[in-house]
Amino acid sequence: MNHVELAIIGAGPAGLSAAIEAASVGVQTIVFDENQQAGGQLFKQIHKFFGSRAHQAGARGIDIGKNLLGQVAASGAEIKLDTVVWGIFEGNKVGVVTNGRNVICKADRILLATGASENVLAFPGWTLPGVMGAGAIQTMVNVHRVLPGKRVLMIGSGNVGLIVSYQLLQAGAEVVALVEAMDRIGGYAVHASKIKRAGTPILIRHTIKEAVGNGKVEQATIVQLNDNGNVIEGTERTLDVDVICMACGLSPLAELAWLAGCRFTDVAPLGGLLPVHDDNMQTSLPGMYVAGDIAGIEEASTAIEEGRLAGIAIAESLGYLTTTDATVKKQAVNDRSEQLRDGPFGITRREAKETLIRRSLET
Amino acid sequence: MDKHPRTYEGKTEIKIEHPDMIICRCEEVTLAQIIEAISEGARTVDEVKRRTRAGMGLCQGRTCSRLVRHLLAQHTGQNFHQIPPMTARVPVRPIALEVLASLEDDTNG
Amino acid sequence: MTLIKDGYFSQTELAQLPGMPSRERLHEGPCVVIECAQQIPCDPCEAACHEGAIEIGDSIINLPKLDPSKCGGCGLCIAACPGQCLFVVDMTYSDTEGTVQFPYEFLPYPQKGDTVHGLNRGGDIVCDAEVLKVLHPKKFDHTAVITVSVPKEYAMEVRTIKIKGNHHG
Repeated sequence: MNHVELAIIGAGPAGLSAAIEAASVGVQTIVFDENQQAGGQLFKQIHKFFGSRAHQAGARGIDIGKNLLGQVAASGAEIKLDTVVWGIFEGNKVGVVTNGRNVICKADRILLATGASENVLAFPGWTLPGVMGAGAIQTMVNVHRVLPGKRVLMIGSGNVGLIVSYQLLQAGAEVVALVEAMDRIGGYAVHASKIKRAGTPILIRHTIKEAVGNGKVEQATIVQLNDNGNVIEGTERTLDVDVICMACGLSPLAELAWLAGCRFTDVAPLGGLLPVHDDNMQTSLPGMYVAGDIAGIEEASTAIEEGRLAGIAIAESLGYLTTTDATVKKQAVNDRSEQLRDGPFGITRREAKETLIRRSLET
Repeated sequence: MDKHPRTYEGKTEIKIEHPDMIICRCEEVTLAQIIEAISEGARTVDEVKRRTRAGMGLCQGRTCSRLVRHLLAQHTGQNFHQIPPMTARVPVRPIALEVLASLEDDTNG
Repeated sequence: MTLIKDGYFSQTELAQLPGMPSRERLHEGPCVVIECAQQIPCDPCEAACHEGAIEIGDSIINLPKLDPSKCGGCGLCIAACPGQCLFVVDMTYSDTEGTVQFPYEFLPYPQKGDTVHGLNRGGDIVCDAEVLKVLHPKKFDHTAVITVSVPKEYAMEVRTIKIKGNHHG
């Protein structure tokens, strides 16, 4: 493991897809992941995905994950789980702890596919047991089949908040209310409609004021906001809940890119400060690539396409694909990505991605 | 731009509700402590960290760093999105010192 | 706009959808009702219909367009929709009752013959509904398709059910 052609950090949808594209044409590829299972967040996604047939639309995230793992196995890429990447050093060297050994691995190409971390909201009582991130709830409910509580307050109406609410209902919990500070539901209306018709109140222009309880969450006070986002005094309502779920968005998990010295830029619609990348997913550092949420917060389907793009570009740069072959493959990926970044929800992300790529050309 | 310019003439008064609210869970740093650091002149996440230990715990700021950036934006007039996170340092993930010290590096040979 | 504020359609919003059959068509026999209003990138409904009644076209963000003359109300599109926004309504079931077919992903499933609560798009109980059919073949991938009969005036209202005694749908 002292030397590898391609080291991929993160075995989520982006990392696995890159591994498939690169290894299947001969690139010697290792994927590192600190978790005990590959697939990133895909195995928590028990709902059916959108997209077209080319994006496996209609399949559940968990099945898309299984499919990717099958393709990785066939591609010849190696996945090293329970493996922590703790640093990146000059000369494309990666510090890796695996099987209790701490080793330096030199990689001809590095792909950072480290994903995102959840944003939290600070309110009085937010550190009480029972206040949880949506990701943790998905892990408990969908992976380990443990219900964290019976009565839930959901914060945030993006697709994550809507989908996790639905999954909590499926698991037998009651979602007492879903609050959203904006003046509209953030995620897809079809997701909102599913929980609405199952009886979940969706309250826009509402937020949480505080959580109280003796050693754990027992009550939450919610409050209405005016059009400027300020609290309307006297609108407080106290709900009996034992779980408060925060679904307040994601931020790119980019420490390794900062550490390596990648150039960053601020693209708010994609989650804020991001490492710039070109149309091959290569950062400002030659040989270092990004894909998935670290390159802008989007969805699993777009992460898969970005991973493929990076894998193809890396294989090309190492001479495993001719420019002609790579161009054809990249075009197919870009066409699929363009379909996903379309419509009222996607167009902002498409424009933001274009900005990010344009900025990679600036010096 | 900076609503509270750095001066040597004493602290800027910032009034807050809920001074005891925890911002950094790992190191149990309260809102009041963060605000005090800002009022004393801290303008970056790193400066807040050095004064308060916010972000120095097990999660390495993955939870509170964004909250600290919000507080900095709110009380110093900086653009939230342009406030960088704390400087990334190795190891970026918690690993035992014993393991870190056992480094095998055969890549220079 | 009710949909993005409350999470469900107003009647005006519904009437404008290209997937909405006319009132007259619904009284001629079973037909799909496509409650898809946002241009999200998605197209499985088009391929699910063997009759060519649902058209998305070249761009997958197009709203599904229904040709009501081609739809026989088979319901194969219901479980295929990741957004669970396709329903089949039949106003000809009896003189007083119509039927609604809808996707359902909660356990336990109701049993044929059960009387359950009929819930509208906003989650309110509006009437009793009788379960006529519960289909969950492997092909539907864990999305059951349930048919209930309801008083005719509620067939365009009821969009899910709640088993009596359960706290959610």
